[in-house]
Amino acid sequence: MNCDHIKEQLTEYLNHQLPDAERFALEAHVAKCPGCQEELESMQQMWQTLGSVPVPEPSENLRPEFYAMLASYKETMPTALATPLGGFFGWLQSLMLPQSAVRLAYGLSLLAVGLVGGYWLNNKKTAATPEQQQLATLTTQVEQMRQVMLLSLIKNPSASERLRAVSYTKEISGPNDRVIEALLSTLNHDDNVNVRLATLEALAELADEPKVRMGLVQSLPQQESPLVQSALADVMVQLQEKRSVQPLRRLLKQPDLNQTVKDKIKESIKTLSTGQPAAPSTSNDYDETFLSPQPDRSAGAIV
Amino acid sequence: MLRVKAGDVDRMGLLFERYHRKLFGFLYHMLGQAEASEDLVQTVFYRMLKYRHTFTGDGEFRTWMYHLARNVLADHVKKNRHSVRHSDVADYAEKIGGGVGADEQLQREQEVATLHSALAKLSAENREVLVLSRFQELKYEEIARVMNTTEGAVKVRVHRAMNELKTIYLRIEN
Ligand SMILES: [Zn+2]
Repeated sequence: MNCDHIKEQLTEYLNHQLPDAERFALEAHVAKCPGCQEELESMQQMWQTLGSVPVPEPSENLRPEFYAMLASYKETMPTALATPLGGFFGWLQSLMLPQSAVRLAYGLSLLAVGLVGGYWLNNKKTAATPEQQQLATLTTQVEQMRQVMLLSLIKNPSASERLRAVSYTKEISGPNDRVIEALLSTLNHDDNVNVRLATLEALAELADEPKVRMGLVQSLPQQESPLVQSALADVMVQLQEKRSVQPLRRLLKQPDLNQTVKDKIKESIKTLSTGQPAAPSTSNDYDETFLSPQPDRSAGAIV
Repeated sequence: MLRVKAGDVDRMGLLFERYHRKLFGFLYHMLGQAEASEDLVQTVFYRMLKYRHTFTGDGEFRTWMYHLARNVLADHVKKNRHSVRHSDVADYAEKIGGGVGADEQLQREQEVATLHSALAKLSAENREVLVLSRFQELKYEEIARVMNTTEGAVKVRVHRAMNELKTIYLRIEN
């Protein structure tokens, strides 16, 4: 075996492409030949250093742009092509056997389609009538996808993921019962105060739903954090929710109640009982709910 | 009907999630420009959608993907003959270069930067096989299919690429 031949095989050797027999022969030769050994070492070092050559991560734009392209492709696709094709997608089907992978991709694409859908909706507001049908369908799909995303993320062990899940609430116009239940459960049981506060904020915006209102009232005795307690009291005042007076009074009786919270609750009970409007809020978030205040007479009945 | 369409979209999404980083890496090594590489990633995925009937499933998917990527790349280079340069890489290498020999970490970084810059200076055809082999971890047999050539020809070219790389590296270093 001559040295030139060995040197020609070095790359293949480093690349793990050399068949066993030739690999053994090469190793045997290199062990005895200082020239080839030196060559191997320098090649090996270069090969390894190559592995450290950095490749930047693609920017955050790539993913949404891809899904936007995909969505627009789908829109322009002739109907005949919409049915599954044997070759490519048939092969894909066989590739996609692992269920967890499907779910992962499904989740990711749901998120992306949600983004794309939003983008699309914003840009197609003046669409012609035939497109309005599609628009309605797409809107429904996007809504459903967001709900699925929310429901799966809200169980994530990471608090930031759960916060993200809660933030999706804003983008859902008509949350279903499962979403509302998940949010109420998070409000009452999440270990993280920030997650609870964000959930409270999200739920307050859904207070038109009787179920949400009731859930918020029932949540009062379950809260231990002073932050959540006073935020919840604020929400009750802003919603003019008279049914909260009783649980608020009960909360006041707790011996270890934070003094600031105590004052805040007393103030809230007073406002709710007298039917006076709440102090002007710095945010307009609750304007919608102000439009349908509870009738005043219920106050006397409950208090 | 819509459900079928949505299913296809999900599957294409899975391919994107699984392969876009690798594809981006290949294009980045070939172009040296991150932004242009991203545009080409989109083009490749668009062509996958458009020409999906040409993929029969006989070959491996990634072979097909790199095959399309090469065509997209060739079109891009043809269109931008005068503007293609490895700007990002050159800048990076310059920043790192002219280092202090004492610090081992720094020396190592400098080595990587020099090699990166040498890789960028490699002839496109040699760089291509090296990137496919070293970074994309394709087997010679797969590279041969991507490039419509023989395994033997790939073997020879990867070997040449390594030698050329070494020559350029030593030239930059000295
Ligand atoms: Zn030798």
